[in-house]
Amino acid sequence: MKLSEIIRLVYLNLIQNKFKVILTSIGIVVGSATIMLVIAIGTGGKETVAEQFKNLNAGAIDITYSGSSEESESDFSFGFDMEGGGGFSMIQGGGMAGGGSMSGFGGDSGGGMGGFSFGGSSDSGDEVVMTMDDCEELLTLVSGISDATISYSTTASVEGGDLDSATYYTVAGVQDNYADMSNLEMAIGEFITEENNENKEKVCVLGATVAKDIYGSAYEAYDSKLYIDDRPYTVAGVFTEMGSMASGVSPDTAIFIPYETGIKYITGESISPTLTVIAEDVNNVDTVMEDALTVLEDIYSGSVFEASDAGSKMDAASTSNETLTLLLISMAIIVFIVGGIGIMNVLFVSVKERTNEIGILKALGCARKDILLEFLLEASCISFIGAVIGVLLSLGITPLVELLSVRVSLSVEGALLSLFFGVITGSAFGFYPAYKASRLIPVVALNQE
Amino acid sequence: MSMIEMHNINKGYMLGEEKLPILKNINFKVEKGEYVAILGPSGSGKTTFMNIVGCMDVMDSGEYFLDGVAIHSTKEENLTEIRNSKIGFIFQNYQLIPTYNVMQNIIMPLLMRGIKHQQAEAMCYTTIKLLGLDKRMDHRPSELSGGQKQRVSIARALVGKPAILLADEPTGALDQSSGKDVLKLFRELNEMGNTIVMITHDLNVAQSAKRIVRIVDGQLQE
Repeated sequence: MKLSEIIRLVYLNLIQNKFKVILTSIGIVVGSATIMLVIAIGTGGKETVAEQFKNLNAGAIDITYSGSSEESESDFSFGFDMEGGGGFSMIQGGGMAGGGSMSGFGGDSGGGMGGFSFGGSSDSGDEVVMTMDDCEELLTLVSGISDATISYSTTASVEGGDLDSATYYTVAGVQDNYADMSNLEMAIGEFITEENNENKEKVCVLGATVAKDIYGSAYEAYDSKLYIDDRPYTVAGVFTEMGSMASGVSPDTAIFIPYETGIKYITGESISPTLTVIAEDVNNVDTVMEDALTVLEDIYSGSVFEASDAGSKMDAASTSNETLTLLLISMAIIVFIVGGIGIMNVLFVSVKERTNEIGILKALGCARKDILLEFLLEASCISFIGAVIGVLLSLGITPLVELLSVRVSLSVEGALLSLFFGVITGSAFGFYPAYKASRLIPVVALNQE
Repeated sequence: MSMIEMHNINKGYMLGEEKLPILKNINFKVEKGEYVAILGPSGSGKTTFMNIVGCMDVMDSGEYFLDGVAIHSTKEENLTEIRNSKIGFIFQNYQLIPTYNVMQNIIMPLLMRGIKHQQAEAMCYTTIKLLGLDKRMDHRPSELSGGQKQRVSIARALVGKPAILLADEPTGALDQSSGKDVLKLFRELNEMGNTIVMITHDLNVAQSAKRIVRIVDGQLQE
């Protein structure tokens, strides 16, 4: 029989059993929708990871002070350092791996009231504070480093622009090479210069969100005055929007000031900076990391430093995302198997119902392969219809998934894969009933009521 | 060469561990253009005989030639093609596909030969007219009377221009009037040159044929 005639017969059978077709395809509908959403959620996850790490250089290594070797053995360190009368800052002695962020509140350090220091560790007074000199040492002594910088972050009260009252923002003290090393781009103005830092000038660069919050736009923010801890700073520039970050300072929501300016006016010397070096060759990150730690531990004997590289963070995040995707794919496969078994059962019933019809076809001279093909095409068409409904269903479900703060990135490739797997599953599970139909003995089939 | 030629055909079915013989040493010949009725009571083996003549079942032993083709040495998959090209089946309960309309049912044997749909419809037109079905083409079997259903069944058997028409109790499900019409049609078809083998348990029906062969206890008696 010609293929076009078999297709016509399949069409006739499907059109006369619409309700059965819909019921049969429910398993495939669910499976296809699941596959489509799994791919969309997986892609969304990948995009989130990529976005979070887009300002990280794959060769970047963050080094923070972890504590003295005795502290490390006890694996616990916690300290307060309060100064400047009205303010206090909290320093986590465990280090700032992952971007050197420092939580704390910067108060008014100008009170000149002195202060007190309270340490949870036995010798918190010997707290190591890395400096720009350490960057120079690493650049000189460790081979394979292309650049190095030092930074810290704190929080400080900010006033100015459209703000009605003082608001706390993350303030990061950075060197002039920070923006280049972190792949940050200026939307307007210029980044902090070496001179700004040396002269401890009160200039700042705003993240995109901060500029929008305080001034309404980057353009309005540029060259305006901003009060940080009640001192006026000139906005030298605004960064482009970078999105959320996996770790460290999120550039969109931070204010960047010269490193030395921050020490002089906001934090004092009680900081726990992060030293960031860039390995020239991404393949040598481990060696550079080991050498840098050795040099620092030589400089500050008895101290322990922690290092983490951006590549490992990216790998860990990617692996975590892949594990989640794998889990979701496993779930989709199970749904498909259940759907496939459903199709197989219904087709078995269909073959049973149509045994007499198969007998007639065989008596009239219909070849086995034509009967096999007819039933197989029916299974494929049912699963195709199910897969199309599944894809449409996933489009409807997507806004609901997004309400749960899950990033969903629908794609044509996802839809095509979903259709493909839907049809393959239906056809694979439809094969056995179709084969059984094609092997029926004409006399037995004809006499079946 | 005869249209049907059978020598020493035996067929039995297993009943537990014993084999129950149904057909015993059947020798049978039908010439081209003959109209033969196989007459026998229920349980005499006439359905088994028809299945073997119709190539829907295989014999245990013996030789069977249909229009010169040695059926006894033909593989099952090739019997499908022989059924399609050499035999036109007319069943007691019509055996029409309920989801297809009259035209779709009639052209099925032609479609199975790989003939295109439009061409197949054109080829059926004369037969459809002959059987008076030209106003019923779009009807489903459930919308037809018993006599009309049997006419559709006969039309389907005829369109492939088979070597023989094989009818199994063709009037069994019909009222007397419709039955008479069908038998009249059979005679007309025979006069046109068609070879007909009809299986029946009814002597009155069998008498419409030109030759009657009785089947008793699995054996043929002229």
